[in-house]
Amino acid sequence: MSRAVAGSAAAAAAWIAIATFPQWSREWDSSRYATSVIRDILIFAIFAGSLDLLVGRAGLPSLGHAAFFGGGAYAAAIVGQRLATNELLVGLAAAAIVAGLLALVIGALAVRALGIFFLMLTLALAQMVYAIAFQATELTGGSNGFAGVRRPSLLGIDLASADALYLLVAVIFGLVTLLLWRVTRSPYGRALAGIRENERRMRALGYDTRTLKLSAFVLAGVLAGIAGALSAYAFGFVSPNDVALGTSVTGLVIVLIGGAGTLFGPLLGAAAVLFIERVLSSAIGFSQTVLGVVFILFVVFARQGLAGLLRDAYARVRP
Amino acid sequence: MLQQALNGISFGALLFVLAAGLSLVFGMMDVVNLAHGAFYMLGAYLALSIVRWSGSFWIALLVVPLVLAALGLLIEPLLLRRLRGRHLDQVLVTIGLSLVIVDFIRLRDDWGWGGEVRSLAVPAGLDHSIAVAGSDYPLYRLFVIGFGVALALTLGLIHRRTRIGALIRAGVGDAEMLGALGVDTDRLFARTFAAGAALAGLAGVIAAPVFGLQPGMDVDALIFSLIVVVVGGLGSLGGAVAGSAVVGPADTFGTVLFPQFALALIFAIMALVLLFRPTGLLGRVRIGR
Repeated sequence: MSRAVAGSAAAAAAWIAIATFPQWSREWDSSRYATSVIRDILIFAIFAGSLDLLVGRAGLPSLGHAAFFGGGAYAAAIVGQRLATNELLVGLAAAAIVAGLLALVIGALAVRALGIFFLMLTLALAQMVYAIAFQATELTGGSNGFAGVRRPSLLGIDLASADALYLLVAVIFGLVTLLLWRVTRSPYGRALAGIRENERRMRALGYDTRTLKLSAFVLAGVLAGIAGALSAYAFGFVSPNDVALGTSVTGLVIVLIGGAGTLFGPLLGAAAVLFIERVLSSAIGFSQTVLGVVFILFVVFARQGLAGLLRDAYARVRP
Repeated sequence: MLQQALNGISFGALLFVLAAGLSLVFGMMDVVNLAHGAFYMLGAYLALSIVRWSGSFWIALLVVPLVLAALGLLIEPLLLRRLRGRHLDQVLVTIGLSLVIVDFIRLRDDWGWGGEVRSLAVPAGLDHSIAVAGSDYPLYRLFVIGFGVALALTLGLIHRRTRIGALIRAGVGDAEMLGALGVDTDRLFARTFAAGAALAGLAGVIAAPVFGLQPGMDVDALIFSLIVVVVGGLGSLGGAVAGSAVVGPADTFGTVLFPQFALALIFAIMALVLLFRPTGLLGRVRIGR
């Protein structure tokens, strides 16, 4: 068996283990709680995976990705309410379209910026989306958030139960991960990596780097919007915080702790960050301080992230 | 109308104090300090405690920048120096730093900080209104204008006429060359970062009596100072002046004329500047292509 086939088989087995977690953990006391935490880890892994397409693959450090996550969440919630439907395909389509359009507008400006200015611009422009969501009270509920998002159904199949929603999130996580894997190994993905390493050379080679960057920005926005829609379904609620800088920071922290430019980094990073924000925070009051310190330590000492550390450890023990 | 104009200018003066530090650090070190808003917030809360303890706003105005400068002198060698040359990582580290600072403020209920909205009284002597062109206007806001202008002039003089200013100008131009000429750039960078933190803290003290203290003030300050430096141009004192002179009045008039879209106006200005003048109004650094 070749190494590639073995890797795919291991990844498929890991996904099946995650997707069936509610079933095989049923006897445990904390199974239901753990299921909800893992569901949210998977949602944030989709979000971070989409961000990593920009940060890790194309070398575009975005600090405004919450605009698309929150934009998608609001779109799914509002369209569902206005059309009086809880059809999943309608909600996901609304989320993808709205997040994609937002990404097109913000990206058109931001991809003109060089290096660190890209980060500043995405931050400032995403904050504008936050301001709009915060002020459009009759549409979004303003500072109170948008409550009463119904659990979805898919073509008549009810997905309201906790286990069904969990499976939905796991399936979409698997599909998005597969898509990101295919994209990064395609000629398009290689071109993005080329932009990350040396944009001027890519331009000299005849690539339209601005269009390439914008298309990656829109694709990342669409996927973040889908993650936002799943979050709206999971919580039944969209908070203005979903669009705020804090969510963008969480995304970037997940990408870097997990390991930028790696396939499993977003999942590992989301697991680490949500462990700190959900589990640890119920035990200690200063979990945000812990998160900040852990993040700084990873940036300074382990820029390759958890995925990179695991890869190094594996390379050391491999016969 | 005049009242609104004064409000706009006084907000602009405050934005200048805030953005000057961000721009200075960027000009010298190529680092966008995303903890700048957290430094501003820390300055405001420190002022709250110092006023409570000493009873004097003026002591706070003097002490807070010194405390922030000391913090800057500590942080630069500890976190940023080891990442020299890795600009993006330096920026990322400042994100982690702001998480820690903001959480620290949230947790200090015992110091009267914590998560609730707090207010700082306008200092005695400046807490009344005076007649300006026939209507009453709060004196403190005029003080903010005067303070901003005085600071701009002082910084301008330091920049042009002193040895430190010459070092800063040289460092902004080419820090590596400056190092080769025998200047201790490590020390220069640490002091620059400290000066940036001190300016953020100063802005926090000045702003506290006007805007109050609450969670989220760090993000507002960071966003506004980023917009100011993008509009005005990064890495130059003149850019910070121009940016705050545009953004301050634009925000104030926007809020009065069409409250729903005040922020949209600010961002529209930023977008226009980016499209037609990618260096910012007075900047030297190209932000985009």
